[in-house]
This record gives sequence, structure tokens and C-alpha cells, in this order.
Amino acid sequence: MTPELAARLIDAIGAFLLFTMIHILAASQLYRAIYVVAAQSVFIALAGAVLGAATDNLDLWIIAIVTLLVKAILLPWLLFGVVRRIRIHREIVSVIPITVTLAIAGVIVVVAFHLSSSLGSVTQAITGNALPVGISLTLMGVLVMMSRRTALVQMIGLFASENGIFFTAMAVSQGMPLIIEIGVILDVILGALVMGVLVLRVRSSIDSDIADLDRLRG
Amino acid sequence: MPETTPWALALGQMALLVALGPLVTGLIQKLKARLQCRSGAGLLQPYSDLAKLFRKGSVRADTATSLFGAVPVLVLAATLSAAALVPVVYVAPQGSDGAVVPLGDAILLLGWLALGRFLTAAGALDAGGAFGGMGASREMTVATLVEPVLIVVAFSVAVAAGTTDLAGIVAHHTQGRHIFGAPDLLALFAMLVLLLAETGRIPVDNPDTHLELTMLHEGMLLEHSGPGLGCLVLAHHTKQIVVIALVQALFLPPMASSLSPRALAVAFLGFAGLTVVLALFLALIEASYAKLRFFRLPQFLGIGFVSAFLAAALRLL
Repeated sequence: MTPELAARLIDAIGAFLLFTMIHILAASQLYRAIYVVAAQSVFIALAGAVLGAATDNLDLWIIAIVTLLVKAILLPWLLFGVVRRIRIHREIVSVIPITVTLAIAGVIVVVAFHLSSSLGSVTQAITGNALPVGISLTLMGVLVMMSRRTALVQMIGLFASENGIFFTAMAVSQGMPLIIEIGVILDVILGALVMGVLVLRVRSSIDSDIADLDRLRG
Repeated sequence: MPETTPWALALGQMALLVALGPLVTGLIQKLKARLQCRSGAGLLQPYSDLAKLFRKGSVRADTATSLFGAVPVLVLAATLSAAALVPVVYVAPQGSDGAVVPLGDAILLLGWLALGRFLTAAGALDAGGAFGGMGASREMTVATLVEPVLIVVAFSVAVAAGTTDLAGIVAHHTQGRHIFGAPDLLALFAMLVLLLAETGRIPVDNPDTHLELTMLHEGMLLEHSGPGLGCLVLAHHTKQIVVIALVQALFLPPMASSLSPRALAVAFLGFAGLTVVLALFLALIEASYAKLRFFRLPQFLGIGFVSAFLAAALRLL
């Protein structure tokens, strides 16, 4: 695969990533958000595979496969399990209206482009829009974490944000070393497990979600 | 090329769109019916409906002014003007002598569609029915969400082609100077969201219902009858295929740049194929989703807005 074709494919995958991210931001049902974040992880794995094919780097192939298995299959499965266990209503409750979140997403995109152009001479492995797309994916993931009330959706935001960081890393340095990437993925799994246990425990002991835990009582 | 040819071509393509409009509606309804395990009405049902409407007499509310009678004709005229601006199967190679359709560009096309929408709403308000007023108010709310996004989508493509002229955009595509990249994909996604709103389909509007408070477009047509209603229905069919043709012209034009019968036939087959694909998309969405609550619409159309905004940002920044 020529580097030129790879750059175009990564560019197109970036568009799909952004579109899935907008869907996560606009989703008002938990199930849909989980499906969409799984789809996003599939695209991330695709991007890894494309880059792996372009650079003949075996590590990237391994990362792509691990990403596919863990982030597109295992984590959504875990999330669905938690959703079923706590039988929460499926509506996503947000701190600010979802339309406002979408408007903020527009601002984030502009900020991301400004940031990446002011970074100046960062050596990009992939020319084009991959760096600003990666930055805006990361920031939009953070936006999801900030603007949603329930721990589960914040977890989805975390995964999406992690996808964005992965994409940024690929844009700047053709992916991180295998050992770091494996460590990050393990961290994400661990985070998901801890968050899952936390959600279940909080629900079983005080019958509410973490957004209600905002006051200290002495 | 003789002097009269561009006009003949523009009118020919317009006639093609008007003639095929009801067929596309019939196709979408048929596909939707099959997806829901019904046999559904025939493909040509919309034509029969139109013929029936044009044979009937019409009645008019006592409160309606003379504007009410003129509205269907004006709406149809605005929509036909829009149809004349979209290249369908043929576009002159750029540089020969400009556009084949020397009538107007993408902005004028969107303007015609907006005018048609405004006139429909004005007619509904003029009749004074409660349903009409509701429908008009809702339709205008949707319009404020849809039209800016349409403009942004058109601009994001126009920036790459260097012209807002649709023929110029198509020529830019067909001559292989256009690299289909991330901005185009995002603009296409935005356009697919808008397609649902512009054609008045689920999840924005439910085209099958006549007697619910949820209806948008049908609500505005309630007071019309006979040939007037026929004009409005035909205008709606035409608008639908115009938007479908616009999607193709902006993103995937399979158009001929010569007038040989073979090239035209290939271009027409391409147009028909893509139209069937888009019709299938509309039918799939319509069969598998419920209509959104009205106040959820900004959220849904927001997906289109942010996508279009991103497309423009990727192109410009």
C-alpha cells in the first residue's frame, strides 16, 4: 500500500470517526451510545491496520487486532452487562441540553484546528487533517464526560476520548510502541471494570448515580 | 453547439425530474412496505393519485383569500424552477462556454426550495385551519434548522470546486480534479441527515399520516383539495427528487459530458442506480425508526449541523 493511499484512507476514516463522535454527543439513549462507541473503535482498529499495512509495522497490526477485540467487543459487552444489571432507564441525562453540547462541539473543532496550526512544525506521520481531527476527537470525548450525569455515559466518553488520543498518536508518530499501547488498553479495561463495580455498588447501597454524590457530609 | 441547445437540455432534464418524481415516491413506499412485510401499493400508485386529484373539483374555506387559490400553482412553479437548476444526466465540459444551464447556481436552487416552503406555509395559514397553522409553524421551525445547514454543505463543496454553480461543481468532479476526502464524506453525512428532513420523512415527519398532531407537511395540505392539492403533491414529489439529484450532483455525479446517446444512457443508468440506493436508504430509515418527538428534532438535525460545520472547517481551516 502506498503512503499516499494510506493517507487518504486515514483521512476518510477520520471523517467516520468524527461522525460517530457527533452521534455519541447527540445520542439520547444508552444503548445507541454504546453501539456507536463500538463502531468508532472498529474504525480506530481499521486506521491502525491501514497504517500497519502502509509502514510494514507488525506492532501496528497487533495493536489493531487487540483494539478490535478489546474496545469493539469486550468493553461494549461489559457496558451492556452493567446496563442490564442495574436496570437503569435508558435515557441519557445531561447537565446541559444536548443541542448546546453539539454547539460546543462546533467550537471545539475550531479550537482544535487553531491548536494544531499553532503547533507549527510538528512532524506529522500522516499529512492532512489527521492531527486536528485527533485533537477534536479527544476534546469531544472529554466534553461527553463533562456534560453527562451518569457514570456509564462518562465511561463511554472516556473510551471515545481514548480513541481520539490513539488517533492523534498515529497522526504524529505512526502509533506508540506496542508495550505502551498494550498498557493503555489494559488501563482502559481496568478503568471499565472499576467503574462498573463502582456503578453497581453505588446503586445497590444508595440507589442513585454518582451525579448525586456532590456534597460532603460530616 | 446551437444557441437553443442549453435551454432544451435544461428543460429536458427538468421534465425528466418531474416525470420521475412520483415514481421515486412510489418506489420508496413500495420498498418500505416490503421491509415491513406488506405487499404495498404498486410503483405507479402516486401517478394514479395525481390523476385522480386533477380530475376532481375543489372546495375552499370561506375564510380563505385569493392567495389561497394561487398558492399551489406558485409552489409548483417554484419547485419546477428549482428542478431546472439541477444537472441530472448531462453537464457541458467546463471551459466550453460556461454552464449548460445558464439559469442559476446552488444558492438560487436552495432559494427556490425555501420559497416553495414559505408559500406552502403561507397558504396553510391563509386558510385559517388549526391543523394548517400547526403544520406551518412546525415546518418553519424545521426550516430554520435545515436551510443554514444546506447552505453550509453547498459551500463546503463549492469551495473545493471554486464555484457555486452546480454545473461547475459537477464538471469539477467528472474531470477527475476532485479528490474525494474527509470533508466530502462529512458533508455527505450531513446531507443524508438533511435528506430525511427535506423529503419530509421519518424521523422528522411522517408522510403516511393525515390526522395526527405530529404531521408537518400533510398538515399544511389539509385545506387544499382537487387540482390544487394535486399541484402541491406533485411539487412535493418533485422536491424530493430534486434533493436526491442535488445529493448526487454535489457528491457522486455520474454525468455525461458529451451528448452521444451511449454516454447519456450510461449517465442515466448511474442516476437511476444512485436514486434507487438513496430511496432504499430513506425506506430503511423509515421502516426501522420511530418518528422523533418534535422537540427532539434540533438534537437530530444538530448531527447534520455539526457534520456540515466540520466539513466546512476541514475544507477551510
